[in-house]
Amino acid sequence: MTPPRGPSRRHIALALPSALLAAGCAAPHRGTGRPGDPVVLTLLTHYASGALHRALQGPVDEWNATHDRVKVRTKAVEFTDLLTTFMVRQAAGQGADILHPYCLWNGQLVRAGVLRPAPPEHAERIRRDWGEAAVGAVTVDGTVYGYPTEAQTYALYYNRRLLREAGVDGPPATWPELEEAAYRTTRRDRYGNPLVQGFGLSANDDATTVGQTLALLHAAGGRFVTPDGRSTAIDSPAGRAVLALEHRLVARGASAPAVNVYQAFPSGRVAMVVGAGWWTGSLRPLMGGGYRDVGVAPVPVPAPGARPATLATGFMLGVNTASRHPREAWEFLRWLNADRVTAGNGTAATRMSALQVSVGSLTARADDMRALLGTGGDPNLRPFLDALDYAVPEPNGPGAARAKTLLRKNIEALWTGRRSVEEALRTTRRQVDQEVSRSW
Amino acid sequence: MVNVLTPQTPERAPGPAPAGPAGHGRRRARHRQTAVAYLFLAPALLFFAVFLLLPLGFALLLSVSHWTGFDLGAIDPVGPDNFGALFTGGSTFLVPVLTNTLLFALGTVALALTGSVVVATCVDRLRFQGLWRTLYFLPIVTTVVAVGNVWKYMYEPGGLANGVLNALGLGSVAFLQDPDTALPSVVAVQAWASLGSAILVLTAGLKSIPASYHEAAALDGAGPGTVFRCITLPLLRPSLLFVCVTQFLTGLQSFALITVMTRGGPGDATNVAALEMYRRAFDYGDWGTASAAAFVLFAVVLVVTLAQLWIFRRAGEDA
Repeated sequence: MTPPRGPSRRHIALALPSALLAAGCAAPHRGTGRPGDPVVLTLLTHYASGALHRALQGPVDEWNATHDRVKVRTKAVEFTDLLTTFMVRQAAGQGADILHPYCLWNGQLVRAGVLRPAPPEHAERIRRDWGEAAVGAVTVDGTVYGYPTEAQTYALYYNRRLLREAGVDGPPATWPELEEAAYRTTRRDRYGNPLVQGFGLSANDDATTVGQTLALLHAAGGRFVTPDGRSTAIDSPAGRAVLALEHRLVARGASAPAVNVYQAFPSGRVAMVVGAGWWTGSLRPLMGGGYRDVGVAPVPVPAPGARPATLATGFMLGVNTASRHPREAWEFLRWLNADRVTAGNGTAATRMSALQVSVGSLTARADDMRALLGTGGDPNLRPFLDALDYAVPEPNGPGAARAKTLLRKNIEALWTGRRSVEEALRTTRRQVDQEVSRSW
Repeated sequence: MVNVLTPQTPERAPGPAPAGPAGHGRRRARHRQTAVAYLFLAPALLFFAVFLLLPLGFALLLSVSHWTGFDLGAIDPVGPDNFGALFTGGSTFLVPVLTNTLLFALGTVALALTGSVVVATCVDRLRFQGLWRTLYFLPIVTTVVAVGNVWKYMYEPGGLANGVLNALGLGSVAFLQDPDTALPSVVAVQAWASLGSAILVLTAGLKSIPASYHEAAALDGAGPGTVFRCITLPLLRPSLLFVCVTQFLTGLQSFALITVMTRGGPGDATNVAALEMYRRAFDYGDWGTASAAAFVLFAVVLVVTLAQLWIFRRAGEDA
């Protein structure tokens, strides 16, 4: 009889990687695990520095001071690293209990099984207390996945001084007025360099290029993708009208996509531009006294009397499927996003709303926003706030990020004369349809 | 005089190892030596395995799988579909992404090589050579983000580049926004940024050419052009090969500069394989096609490098 032998080299070779893999993929250990010790929830966010970091830390400290059994620890990374950090930590079994994603990624996160659906009572509360755009942003395929934290709607920024100098009385309300004002305010030097762009169209990144176009598209009654997110809808009369408008503005020199509008507008070299609400917070310190010339109006509509509409983007707080303490995590989110407290100016609002308004951002709850702004505050925030009632959420299906990039590429091809309006629409439809159908 | 190394121990005739206790002891000593050698090699081998073999194997697995990047348990094998997706169904990977990559690398090598040969030859004849080499090397020690942003501003309408054109009475050019000029504009920056290292290598190569060759040629009445063409360039070939291969490899894998300057736009005019891979993996969660694209790029790099070595070997230069 052969004596029992120890593990062979083959066994070790097989067991070692498996053990390493198992150790790496194991769910993270939260807290000490000893009976009676508090549960520690981790919250991964992009509120990494400055006022945003301090603003979030305030309520978190308050929770930790008033709750013995469940503690919350924040981990912050820059926004540009947020999705990558979600991926890497999740794959390594170190995913945070609470995630703070950009809603564009929701479909991707849901498809990967990262986001946990909100429990019925939370989903019901979210549907009841938040606006349509905010709820749409946190919903994928009919299921709510988290609490909306901030909402960014798009409106028309304009420079009063430049409009006045060109003899334009006020901000345009319709597309013909927009074009007229854009051509009148445009100025170029003798070499063709833009001195003042009438209407800023910037090829800076996906968010800028696509955000501007989709805001105008919604104002024209169109949509980028169908409500179920499974096919594109931009190849429509509204889509044709928007791309034709942009093409005219570029071709006639009123727009110079080569110029970064985020730099040109504050320095008084752009008369009008469509942008998101967060920009007001950056423009104010950047422009100093010059901010007096900045006004904000709703995104112009194609013809007088048309129903206003624009684009809304946002962030949300959701719970990781890998979290060992989902009940505690949802409880913390309810406390942070739904419980009402007395805010700085004596009005009742949620902690998240107070947090957002304190840093000059827009909370996803229009009622809180109105209460917190009161009669004071920056009047330029009002059009963004009003837009919460009629804004259309950004598509957030599984292939939304890729679809957005594909749209941006086709818009740029149109602006640079590489594609006609019809070609751009056709190519966008073909490419995006292929992408979204594959993603679902 | 030639140094000859004399073996300190007498050579043993080849043959079977002697049997018996002495032979057995020698075998054991040899095994022990081998074990010790592997022990010393272990850290390097472990590093090699963890940071090269493991990722390589993982990338190979992903290239034939569908994976969203979040759950290691959700890797779904799909066979060669990812490779097919790169080249079919209106995919932009072959044209323009891969063609842009090759044009970018080719343009960078051509510009950097020509520029560095000219500059290195000039520097070799100047005083304060160290100072000149340092000046040309400065872009190498500057971060790509800074270089990219500064050039981006210079290319803008109203920027320095257009200012120079306007001063010459010419109209402005939308360098980075016109699909026809965007790629050449970024190539120029990449070539400028990589000039320093090429100059360093080439000046070292120039220094290794004996001055007597040039003197002899001058005595025979050869002009500077002939000396450069018939003596300098042929003897500089090893350095040129090194610069050519390394610049091409860098060009094919370039990512950061394009990300900073154009993000691949306008449209896909400056989109290259490395940027496309990054976006597919980290932005869209499509790790399968990203990994497949990585292997396609690897194949391209391999073929291009082998072709370069073959061309230089045919010209009489051993790598």
